[in-house]
Amino acid sequence: MGRYFSDLFGGSASILRSMWVTLRYLFTPAITVQYPDEHRTQPLRALNRHVLTTDETTGQLKCTACEACARICPTRCIELTGTGKGKSRHPSAFTIDHNLCMYCNLCVEVCPFDAITMWTRIGELSSADRSSLVYDLQALTADRYYPSPMTPEKPSVPEKPPVPEPEKVEAATMAPSS
Amino acid sequence: MGLFDNKQFEPGVVTTTVEWLFNWARKSSPWPMTFGLACCAIEMMAAGASRFDLDRFGAGVFRPSPRQSDVMIVAGTVTEKMAPRIKTLYEQMPDPKWVIAMGACAISGGPFYYDAYHVVKGVDLLVPVDVYVPGCPPTPEALIFGILTLQEQITRGKRAQPGGRPTLPEPLVAA
Repeated sequence: MGRYFSDLFGGSASILRSMWVTLRYLFTPAITVQYPDEHRTQPLRALNRHVLTTDETTGQLKCTACEACARICPTRCIELTGTGKGKSRHPSAFTIDHNLCMYCNLCVEVCPFDAITMWTRIGELSSADRSSLVYDLQALTADRYYPSPMTPEKPSVPEKPPVPEPEKVEAATMAPSS
Repeated sequence: MGLFDNKQFEPGVVTTTVEWLFNWARKSSPWPMTFGLACCAIEMMAAGASRFDLDRFGAGVFRPSPRQSDVMIVAGTVTEKMAPRIKTLYEQMPDPKWVIAMGACAISGGPFYYDAYHVVKGVDLLVPVDVYVPGCPPTPEALIFGILTLQEQITRGKRAQPGGRPTLPEPLVAA
């Protein structure tokens, strides 16, 4: 008899204890992100759509069309052509096929000029047809500064070194070299 | 209603209004099928869980049977072995049905596009796809955005036509 009532009491108490666990969630803030209205803060190194960064001082693309990214891409989704020579070489066409891209970040790691970045938070790319998922040079060009895990803050534009006055330059060149 | 899709009706105020009402009802409850093939399915589960909560869009009722579902979210790599099963599952769904290709593998084969003997190069070779969600894998936000895109298409009454991929894109680099 005593065992019976203790089981009855213990069962009721356990139900109350478990209901208390459930009840506590009524008073905690909801964890749901109301997605289309608000966005969760992604970590800085979350990989998203590519963007070709521009040089802050000149406004030109940093890309020199060396095709290192196109060569290392495991799915070969990058295709580009470049014009010009030396430092004035820039891509004339640049397409990234996001039907194929596997977001491995290898193109960013191999780029010698940090000209391409995937730390962009541009993640919503759905489309009704495949052709609009192939991004061209105009769609890929950066519209603002994109922070990276190495440079979370926008670096201040380095001041140009003072141009030496022509007289001093002449004097320096005229000086006899020892 | 799928029953009337192939029938010709005289256009009129009543039919357009009813069509709008049907599309509104379809858009408000696109029930997906419980169906995952690879790692993208993990992100699909995350989108259905409480952090992102697909139920806010009426799309969180993952049905265990194709007979009760409206949307097939193809989440993952479609292997050659799985391809006939996917086609069977698609044919078992009742007629107002939509397909979301989620992730690079389902869209085009993705990492397996070159040099893979065992992967279907895009699920749109098997079934008509309404919305493509790129990513590897797409974040839950990206999948939810894909479902919102699908809802917008349902509202406009637009559906992918059967017959596979309209134009097979040329390989960018000769394999």
